[in-house]
This record gives sequence, C-alpha cells and structure tokens, in this order.
Amino acid sequence: MEPDVSIETGCEIRVAVLPIGGAIPPPRLRLYLSMLSCHRRVDLSSVSSFYSEHQKSPFTHQPWDSGSLRFKFVVGGAPPSPWEDFQSCRKILAVVGLCHCPSSPDLSLVADQFSAACKPYTSALVERCFAFCPSDSQLDEGKRVSNVILFPPSDRQTQEFHMLTMVQDLAASLLMEFEKWVLRAESAGTILKTPLDSQSSLSSEEVIKAKKRRLGRAQKTIGDYCLLAGSPADANAHYNTAIELARLTGDVFWHAGALEGSVCALLVDRAGQQDATLEEEVKYRYYTVIQLYRRSYLQDNAQRVSTVSFELEAALKLARYLCRQELAKEVVELLMGAADGAKSLIDASDRLILYVEIARIYGSLGYQRKAAFFSRQVAQLYLQQDNSFAAISALQVLSLTSKAYHVQSRGASQKQIGSHHSLGPSQADGGKMHQQSIVSLFESQWSTLQMVVLREILMSSVRAGDPLAAWSAAARLLRSYYPLITPAGQSGLASSLVNSAERLPVGTRCADAALPFIRLHSFPIHPSQMDLVKRNPAKEEWWVGSAPSGPFIYTPFGKGGSNESNKQDLTWIVGEPVQVLVELANPCGFELVVESIYLSVHSGNFDAFPVSVNLPPNSAKVILLSGIPTKVGPVSIPGCIVHCFGVITEHLFKDVDNLLLGAAQGLVLSDPFRSCGSGKLKIVSVPNISVVPPLPLLVSHVVGGDGAAILYEGEIRDITISFSNAGTVPVEQAHISLSGKNQDSVISIARESLRSALPLKPGAEVTVPITIKAWQLSMADSDHATNKNSSGVSRISKEGSNPLLVIHYAGPLTSDEFPENGDTVSPGRRLVVPLHVCVLQGLRFVKARLLSMEIPAHINDSLSKKVTSPNAMNSLLKIDPYSGSWVFRLLEIELSNPTDVVFEVNVSVKTDSTNNGNGVTSIQHYAADIGYPKTRIDCDFSARVLIPLEHFKLPVLDGSFLAKDCQPNDFLGGKISNAAERNSKAELNASINNLIKKIKVRWQSGRNSSGELNIKDAIQAALQASMMDILLPEPLTFVFNLAKNGTANEAINGTKQLAEQTNELANSVDQCASGSAVRFKGSISAHEMTPMEVLIRNNTKEPIQMSLSVTCRDVAGENCTEGSKATVLWAGVLTGIQLEVLPLEEVSHSFSLYFLVPGEYTLMGTAIINGATDMLRARARTDSSDETIFCRGSPFHINVAGAV
Amino acid sequence: MATTACFIIVSRNDIPIYEAEVGSAIKKEEAAHQHQFILHAALDIVQDLAWTTSAMFLKAMDRFNDLVVSVYVTAGHTRLMLLHDSRNEDGIKSFFQEVHELYIKILLNPLYLPGSRITSSHFDTKVRALARKYL
Repeated sequence: MEPDVSIETGCEIRVAVLPIGGAIPPPRLRLYLSMLSCHRRVDLSSVSSFYSEHQKSPFTHQPWDSGSLRFKFVVGGAPPSPWEDFQSCRKILAVVGLCHCPSSPDLSLVADQFSAACKPYTSALVERCFAFCPSDSQLDEGKRVSNVILFPPSDRQTQEFHMLTMVQDLAASLLMEFEKWVLRAESAGTILKTPLDSQSSLSSEEVIKAKKRRLGRAQKTIGDYCLLAGSPADANAHYNTAIELARLTGDVFWHAGALEGSVCALLVDRAGQQDATLEEEVKYRYYTVIQLYRRSYLQDNAQRVSTVSFELEAALKLARYLCRQELAKEVVELLMGAADGAKSLIDASDRLILYVEIARIYGSLGYQRKAAFFSRQVAQLYLQQDNSFAAISALQVLSLTSKAYHVQSRGASQKQIGSHHSLGPSQADGGKMHQQSIVSLFESQWSTLQMVVLREILMSSVRAGDPLAAWSAAARLLRSYYPLITPAGQSGLASSLVNSAERLPVGTRCADAALPFIRLHSFPIHPSQMDLVKRNPAKEEWWVGSAPSGPFIYTPFGKGGSNESNKQDLTWIVGEPVQVLVELANPCGFELVVESIYLSVHSGNFDAFPVSVNLPPNSAKVILLSGIPTKVGPVSIPGCIVHCFGVITEHLFKDVDNLLLGAAQGLVLSDPFRSCGSGKLKIVSVPNISVVPPLPLLVSHVVGGDGAAILYEGEIRDITISFSNAGTVPVEQAHISLSGKNQDSVISIARESLRSALPLKPGAEVTVPITIKAWQLSMADSDHATNKNSSGVSRISKEGSNPLLVIHYAGPLTSDEFPENGDTVSPGRRLVVPLHVCVLQGLRFVKARLLSMEIPAHINDSLSKKVTSPNAMNSLLKIDPYSGSWVFRLLEIELSNPTDVVFEVNVSVKTDSTNNGNGVTSIQHYAADIGYPKTRIDCDFSARVLIPLEHFKLPVLDGSFLAKDCQPNDFLGGKISNAAERNSKAELNASINNLIKKIKVRWQSGRNSSGELNIKDAIQAALQASMMDILLPEPLTFVFNLAKNGTANEAINGTKQLAEQTNELANSVDQCASGSAVRFKGSISAHEMTPMEVLIRNNTKEPIQMSLSVTCRDVAGENCTEGSKATVLWAGVLTGIQLEVLPLEEVSHSFSLYFLVPGEYTLMGTAIINGATDMLRARARTDSSDETIFCRGSPFHINVAGAV
Repeated sequence: MATTACFIIVSRNDIPIYEAEVGSAIKKEEAAHQHQFILHAALDIVQDLAWTTSAMFLKAMDRFNDLVVSVYVTAGHTRLMLLHDSRNEDGIKSFFQEVHELYIKILLNPLYLPGSRITSSHFDTKVRALARKYL
C-alpha cells in the first residue's frame, strides 16, 4: 500500500529527489526542497517553450492552454514497486539530484555520484542534478561537467526563478519521453505483468489468455501515460478501449485498474467542478472498482500476493474524495470496511499505512476520537517494532492523539491556556465558576483511556530516549490518575520520574506539573502590628473612615458595586517581607521530597524565597511561603514554582481549584486534599495585590519583657512601652488611642512623650509610659478562676479582654523616592499593641453592710474651748452639726483572700472639698486622711474593714434632695419644673456617687504590687436603703451644754474627741459595741445645781416653729424628772417650750438640773414641729399631712459623780 | 451469553459514568482497555447518527475487527454503549431498555448528581444480571 493516495494520484509524475555529494546542512536542504516542491504543478502552456515536437504527438487532445503536469517529489527516492507496470504512476519517472557545492567541492565527483545514484531507478526517463551555491572555481569547473546544473549564487527570488525554469525544462523533457514511450508501446507492444500473473508454470491455456489480455493491458498503460502527460481526453479514450478488452478477456484486475484510471481522467478533465452527477458517476465507478478488486482476489495466491491492498486503496481514495460532513455516513462505512480489511493485509507496514490513512480521513472529517483511535493503532504497530526510530514515531503519533484523549501536555496546549487566562478573571469575579464551565473542563475525561495513552507515551518516550517527554508523561499520569494506580505503581512512576530527570540537564523546566498538589490556603492579612490604613489627607484624624469599621457586614452607604467586594485588595510594601500560606498535598504512597518551592510571580517585582518540604505518604501540609516585593506595581501570583523529581515545574492554583470543583461535582476521581485528611476549604481566589513604596514601620515592645503583666484585680502598675521605627521612612504623624475591652483600665498614657519624639527617624526609639489598673474579673471569669485554682493554674489571660493600644502613624505624604507615585497619598499604618494583662483574682469581696449604733455623747465641762475650724468656710456654720448627732453609721466590708499571697488593706477617705450642685460647700473634714492602720488578710482568710460614714453629712437639709418625695414644691416657689427636679435628683445621685468615690480601699501585697479594690457597687447596694440617713442631717440637732456661770454659750465641741473616738472605734471594732469604753471624766456632782442649756440648731433653710421638751432618764430608762420618785430636780422649763429657730441658726434654752443620786443619766431633747413643711415630712418619711412631726435629738450622757 | 461484551454509560458530557465488562470471556485488562478505546471512538459516529433518527436504539452503528458497537441514546443524551460480538439484536435492545429503566431510577435518587459516576452496587448487580439474561 502507498500512503497519501487519492483518485488524482494516477496523474502524478513521480520524481525521486536525492541529495548528492557531501552532506547538506538540514536548513539548506529544506530550503532547496521547498524551492523544488513549490512546483508540483507545471502548466502545459509554460512548458511549451521548452517542448519541441520531434514526431507527431500521440496525445492528440492535449490541452496546451489549460492542462498541466503534476509532480510528486519523493525525497530520498523509493524502491521500485512490483506493481509499477500495473499503475505507471508508481514508477519513478525522473530523478533530481540536489547538491550543496560548499560541502562537495569536486563537481566531477558529484556527477559520478549522481549517475551512480540514478542506477537503481531503471524506470527513470529524465535525470537532472542541481548544484547550489557554487564557488567561482566551481562555476568554471561546472562548464566542463555536463550533467550538473549549477545555480549561480544570487538572492532567493532569482534562484526560485532559476528553479522554475529548470522544472519547466524537466517537464518538457518528460513530456517528450512520454510521447516516445507511447509511440513505442503502440507499435511494438510491451509485456506488462503484475505479481498476480504466475510466472513459473504457464500452461498453454494461460499463455493464450495472456496474449489476449496483452492488448487491453497495453491500452490501459497508454492511458496511464496520457494521464501523466496531462491529456485526460486521450487517456479516457484509451481506458475505454482497455475496459472493453479487459471485460472481454475476463482480466478483472486490469479492468479495475482501467476503470480507476478513467475516473481519474474524468476528474482531471472536470477539474474544479463539483456537481452531483459527477459525484454520482465517480461513486458508481469506484464501487465497481472496489467490487472488481475484490473479485480479483485469488485464493490460491493469497499467500504470495494479494490484491486486498488495491481494494483498500480504492476505498480510501473514494473516502477521501467524498470526505465531507454531509456524506459522513458513507465515508464512515467505507472506512469501516477498510479497517476490516486490515486483517487480510499481510505486511505490517501496509497495515500501518492503512491505519494512518484512515486516521487522516477521519481527522479531516472532524471525527477526532476516531482519528485518535486509529492513530493509537498506528502507534501500537510502531511499538511492536523494536527500534528507537519506531518508538520516536510512536511517540509523535501518540502526542497527536493526546488532544483527543484530553491528556495533552500543557506545553503543547499553551495557546489554549492563554485563552483560558483571558477567561479567568471574569469567572473568578463571580467567586464561583459557573457549573457548566466546570463541567466543560472535565468533558470527555475517560480516565482509563487517558491512563493507557499516557502509559504508552511514557513507554514510547523511554524507548525513544526522550527523557523530557517521559518525565512529562509520568508526571501527568501520577498527578491525574494517582487514585487508580496502586502504591507500587505510584512508586514505579516516581522512580521513572527520577530516572528521566537524571538524564536531563539540571534546571530543566517542564510545563506539566507533577506532585504535590498545591492550593492557596490564605493570604495572612497584615499582622496587626503592620496594618495599613488609607490616609485621608484632608482630615486631621486621617485614619477615620478609611478602615473598614463597624460590625456590619453590609452598609448601604458603602460605595462601589458588589462585584468587587468579594475580592479583597491586598497591599504589599516594597522591602517588607510578605507571607502566603499554601497547602501541599501528597496523596501518593511514597514520601515526596520537594527540593524547593516558591511563589511564582510573573510581574517581576517580587523576590520569592524557596523552601524545601518533605511530605510523608498521604499527607497534606500547610506551609508558609515568603518573599519580598521589590518594585512598586501590581503583583500577580498564579501559582508556585516547584523543584521536585529533578525538574522545575510551575503549579497553578487555578488548576487545583478546578480539580477540587470537579471533585465536588463528582466529575473527577478524587479530591487530593480530602484523601490526605485535610479539611474542605473554601476556594481562595488570589486577590489583587499591589505594591506600594516603603512606609515607616513601628515596632513596639514592652520594656522589661513582652510577657503578660500578672496583676491582681485592681492592681495599679506602670508599664513602659518602647516604639522603634524599623522602616526606612521617618514617622511624621502618630496618634495613640485605645480600643478593645477594659479600656478604662488604662489610667494614663504619656501621649506627649510620643508626640515630642516626632518625626521618628528610621531606627529611632521612643518610650511611652502607661499606667494600668487591673480590671475586675467578671463572675464567669472568677468561677473559671476558682476551677482553675483547684488544678493549680490560677492565671487568666483571655486574649479578648485586654485593652488595645492603637497607634495610627504615617510617613511623609508623598514619597520622594517614587515620584511616579506622587499623586497618590501614601497610606498610613496602624500599630495595635495589646496590653497583655493577666488578671488574677485578688481580694474577694464577700459582703457589705451598714452598721448603725447610737453612742450617747457625754456632757463634759472640761472641754469648753471653742474649736475653730482651720477652714475659713466655717463662717457659714454657727454650730457644728455633728456635735449633736451621735448616731454612728459604719460600713462594714467583709473581704476574703482566696489567693496565695498576703494582702494588706488600707481604707482611706478622700477628703478634698467638693462643690455640690447647690453651691453649698461641704465642710473640710478635720480627719483629712484617717490614719487607719493596715488590715492584713492572710491567705484563705477573711477580714472585715469598717468605714465610718459620719463625715458625709451635708450641712444643710435642703428640700431639693427630697424632691423625689415632695410633689408640690412650695419652698422653691412652685417654680420648680420637671427638669429642675430631675436636676436635683441627678445632684443627689452625684453626691451619692461622690460619697462612694471618696471611700478608697487600697491594698498592698508584697513589695511592689498595690492596688485598689473596686467595691463601688457593693457599697452602693449596702447603702442604698439608708442613703438618706447617712447623707442628710436631721432637721434639728440638739446639743446639751453645761452653762458655766451664765457665760456665753460655748458648745462643748467634741468633734476632735469624736474623731479620735471614731478612730478607736474603727480600729477596735469588736470592742466598740458599747460606748462604755469611752469615758469622759465628769465634773458634775450630785447634790449640786447644774446649770445647763440645750442648743437647738435648725439645719434647714426655713424657720421652724416647735415645742421643745427635755427629758432626763436614769440608767434604767425611767424618767427621773417627773413622777413621785423623781431623782432629779429641775428649774426652768423642761416641757412645751415654744421656740422658733431661724434657718441655719440656733437658739439656746437654759435650765438647771439637780441630781439627787450620783450615776449616769441620759438627757434627750425632743421637739414637736408645728406646721411642718413637706420637706420635713418627707425627711420624717410620713405621708399624711396631719401627723405630727416629731424630732428627737440624740441622747447625751451625763455622768454624775457622788458628792466629794 | 456473548463471549465479549463491554458496557459503558457515557454522560452527556462525554464522561463515562459506568463501566462494566459483561462478557463471559476471561477478562484481560488490555482487552478491556481496547474495548473502551473502541467505544470512545464510536462516540464520534453516535454524535452524528443520533440526530438522523428518532429511534433511541442505534444498532451496530460501528465496528472494529469483529466487535460491534450498539448504542442506545436516551432523551437526555446519555449514551448506553455496548461493545459485543454476538448478533442477538433483540436481546441487546431489551437489555438497553431495561438498563435505561435502571438508569432512570438512579437519576431519580435525589442524592445522585446527574453526570457523575454511578457507584451504586445495586445498579451494578442488576446490570450484570440483565447482561446474563439478554446477551
């Protein structure tokens, strides 16, 4: 069989083209051949000038103006075919030698070689030898050597012209030779034989038969020559004769040949015409031809020769002629029949040609899979031959099929990838690819077939000695079909990868990636230490509004379409290392050694750092790849460059993403990451990354170690944080703010020290002191803590509860080094420094309660000095309101110490003067800081702390404090509005808060930890009920004095003593249950007239009318001034004294007592207030207006000594 | 029962979603591959032929050596392809019809993603039983 046959083959003149002389460099040879082979068709009209008619031409109907001669150049020549008598077109009718003069200097030698080369071609009618690029000496020599035609050195165009002339000359010579041959054949007749005709024993019958047939065969051959000479009309005439004769003689085989020739003549005659009738005619005749060839199949010589190849050739010729989409069915039938014929072909190379031709025709029909199938058959036939050239051919054929089987190397389909790239962004924009497009990626994936094809490619490339192809095939096989390959097979592939790589030069790149599978895991956003903030140069606070803020995922005011929202933008900074997390998976059963892996960046402004990884069998690993951006501009990261198995490959993230999508759709075999135990991950798309010029970079560290400060609740500590500029650009602006939880625990920040250090040059450092007070642990925390305590771990450092120090800083507005970036403002940065505080539970508050007790004052004459307040504010006060009130209220706080250290508690009352809302200044206490000794609380013990509350009384009972109770506010002229009411309420609250604030419970533990207990809420809860009593003075205070000789009223002001007393009380809580410990040395003796006076002070702002009574009781509580057994005699008025006290004034009432019995007596003043105002009622907590308001003073003790 | 038979279901995306060697001949891996190659190549012809006829069953529409390809194209353009060496046309037709029913049952499974591989062992057993019955 012959390759590349078509119906028109019959009219092609076969010319052997042979290289002669020294070796021709391949590009030169290719050039010469291309010059020659462009003259496949030579018009008769152009030949005519070279043609001279020696005798009458047998081609009477030769179309000189429209016809042409066709050449078929057979490079390298061909052995003579046994069938060349049967089809003249199989003969080599001319020989052309090509000689490259520089490599063959001796032209005569060339001439000899050429004639020797022509020897085997006995059928050759014309021989020419063309010599190119001769030197000058050769040009001279060439004149002597006759049969070598020298092409003078000139430009290509001229040479082509020369070539045209030579070919036309060749054509003319051939034409003349054909004429000669036909004339000779017509006259003499030649014996034409085919291998079919048995040579050995010709029986007489057969000889007669052969004689009869000879004429027909001669006619057929003449027809062939007519066809070659470009005269189809003549050919047709001869063929018709031949057909008739052959039919008569029963020469079936030649009949078929003549018929075939006639179809060729018909087509050449109607060249360029396509009509249905012609097609029908051709089809009809060719089916007949095929039939005839089939009939000529002789069983007896089927072993020796077979006509099957002619039958198949005829089928292929027809199929090629009909090869059009609309006739596909017919072509398929023909080809199917031809393929069936392959079995009866004896020669393996015939089968090879048959399959090649079938594949070609299927391919031109558009049946790629069919073509691939037959190509693979060809490759298998090649692989059966055991030599490397056959293996190379097999490899090439298989590479052709790889597209149809979707296993092509990425290097081969680079163009396709390019188109995918352009498709890429739009798909990625949507976040998820359209399902259809994913499906299309996996279309026609026949994994079994793909594996087989790849294995064959691998095998053939190993045999052909192409290590790169072998590597690529093994890589594709391993990467795509590892689930279908046994672990042993996987290791085999791995070793074949290594073996191939050994034969490759170091640093070879391959377009096809092997293992591992690499997907993008995440882009770690800037650590909070180097966050970028867009800068708004128009604002003072340039960071406001630029950072994504707020808890809302969607804000209707957010600008921009939604299409950009899902692809976050990333900004990298020149010179600052960045990191990308990728996940590698090795789903195979061998350990994978990745010699190096680094990010592949095509934009050229990024230095990637390689790392090497070892992946155990069936494992996945997340690794950190880093690099440094080097130039300003966008960065694109399509994948990673991997150096594995000795070859460098690029792994694209997109491929793996598609694979994973396919796996999710059930379209691919397996998800490599899931099979390695790695979880399902959302597909991460590579964000838009842009690189900006260098920025300053503040680095912070806590002086004295970055560890968390371990503080007890309420502990106060100074922390010093140092900031240094690690960037290359100075910091020009910086601003500290707080965020996060427990912000109020930061008491002070030395903002000034940072501000004064600006601009902070690169490398410079500044320290900022910060004062922190540890916050209170919440209930859950403390529960947690107690649980932890039992297991011995008592620290709680919840990341979320730390306050954060946020520093916004920025360099110069525009960078000088990058003027091209000048119009955009360089971004600022944000440094977030978490103040790591680990709060330990400190003293634990157990309970707080209010203790109140009445301690009667002693009337004492020894102290009669008027105590003047050091404060000039005193002028407001006529008498000290406290001297009269002896009701003690103590706040008792119980604290327990669950920790393992000792605490010392110190209670202090803050005493700076404060202005309350009404402009009334509270008095400055004498006890500026009550010097309580420290209370020590040991581990796991509790202790109580007493806080006296007596110092908080307001000097004036003002109605506004009771506004909540009195609706019609007549004392404020009814003008009071709701707002004012609210105001006064707020004032009350403020004063309550004030009071609470004044109480400070400080503690100290060890040498350097001290703090404050935060027990505000506890105090407030304890005091809430009796707040009024504590805060507000009684409307009236009663003070009993000894009146000495009727001198001026001198209040026995026991305030100092009182203070001392309370101090003592506070210190010795247990002992102060009764006031008996405190003794005043009395100077009052029995049986003596004791003049006394009672001072009544009005603490309100209204005058009060009252009726006063004074009672005196003895120890038993019996009234001793009245009744029959009175022990005290008296002078003056003791009951029903009508008095009016002006606002904030005091009046005195004098009387005298005569004690009959020494002992202790109690004096008490009571007053019934007449016409009480609402305020007084509110103070007395009565609702009804007709109830009498009764005001009782605190009791005074009198110690009466016996008579001396 | 036929000595050689290879049955494949090809989804509309040209992906084989079910493969079975149902012949009684001793199974050889290479032969199985060859069968798949033949069926894969036959898809080219099916793709044209399916639109020229209203019949679902395309009998013996391709052949290679002595193996014949018969195809049954469902309405959803899923192709049931059988490579066989027997000429029992009626049996093949019945086989296809029954397998089609089975395939529809698979499709009705809400957990089955149309176009993905059929992994049901029940389906496999049934198909092999049908092959024994009809081929």
